[in-house]
Amino acid sequence: MKAALARLLATAALCALAPLAVAHHSFSMFDQTRKVTHSGVVSEVQWTNPHVWIFVDVKRDDGAMEKWGMEFTSKVHLARRNFTQDMVKVGDNVEFTVSPYANGKPGGRFFTIRMANGRYYCDVGAAQKVCDENNH
Amino acid sequence: MLARRPLLAALAVALTADLSLLSSVEAQPAARSVFPANAEQVSYAELDRLPDWRGIWQPNIGRVSGDQPVLIGEYKARYEAEQAKLKANPNYEVPETLDNCEPDGMPSMMTMPYSLEFLFTPGKIVVNQEALMMVRRIFTDGRPLPSVDEVDPNYFGYSVGRWEGETLVVETVGTKAGQRLGTPGITNSDQLKISERIYLDAANKDLLHVDFTYEDPNVLAQPWHQNHTFRRDRTWEILEYVCAENNRHPLDAEGQTQADF
Repeated sequence: MKAALARLLATAALCALAPLAVAHHSFSMFDQTRKVTHSGVVSEVQWTNPHVWIFVDVKRDDGAMEKWGMEFTSKVHLARRNFTQDMVKVGDNVEFTVSPYANGKPGGRFFTIRMANGRYYCDVGAAQKVCDENNH
Repeated sequence: MLARRPLLAALAVALTADLSLLSSVEAQPAARSVFPANAEQVSYAELDRLPDWRGIWQPNIGRVSGDQPVLIGEYKARYEAEQAKLKANPNYEVPETLDNCEPDGMPSMMTMPYSLEFLFTPGKIVVNQEALMMVRRIFTDGRPLPSVDEVDPNYFGYSVGRWEGETLVVETVGTKAGQRLGTPGITNSDQLKISERIYLDAANKDLLHVDFTYEDPNVLAQPWHQNHTFRRDRTWEILEYVCAENNRHPLDAEGQTQADF
């Protein structure tokens, strides 16, 4: 009961954070009404401010390779959520879900990512449910 | 030896010329006052009497109390126009300095969704904002608050504070026009005066209150109050945040962030 309450409060706190977890720009270039999921191989990790970026080579249905960019919040926020730079490495196989760019470019705002070891990392807010359900 | 004398004499002339140049440069700072915060005589004992605000302070986002702004003139018109654009297009972005990694100055720097740190020195308090590594100085050495016209408008303005018991009372003038005032879509004029009362919660010493009053004769019909709270964390230090490190989203001419990474 107590644990459930604590979890509820933690979720509430994270939800309260979600709309304002912006760093220096709005997220208006993303279509926040949509989510897309792809799998691929990590080609580059930019552990930086104002935003962390992970790039993944994704094989399209027509066989061509496409480089997807996943934008996270800042290095500062991720550090405080216990994300670390070594959580993902070039060459890792990952599956990721993003709110895609509204203009169709191959990239989007980070929602969740499943690492090579099967562990999920999730954004604050609604994405936390995915982590709760999959990380045991 | 003798042959060297003309050289020495020339050197002496050159040195004298340099010194006279230096002294003319030095003559200007002498016109400025040495306030107690930087004076040769200093006592650190006064710091022992101040409340403990160490650690870092994280904002309670979305929990802002206070009253509603009563906007006037072009500032009212602009706010309403921005709201209309947002209503027509949920993806519209209210153009702000921060969108391009430019500090958003006072008062917004105090309420960013990052952490604050207060450093007390004799006669001066330094406030570090983690986001964009913004820095603000509050002079508590008894110097007068300059008039708005005396300050070269800048991001953080000029802040003078005093302790009323364990409450820090701060007044700020001289902020640049066009910075966010309280909420996106409202900006200040160069006549803005910000008053703050900053104090620890009476029942919870790990909760900090910052009560703002904004007064701006060009923007507001009456003073506008916003009250923010912050949670203390003693386990973290402020982290580095250089916005220019990897800003991959340029703005277009209308101030809209581009999805071109």
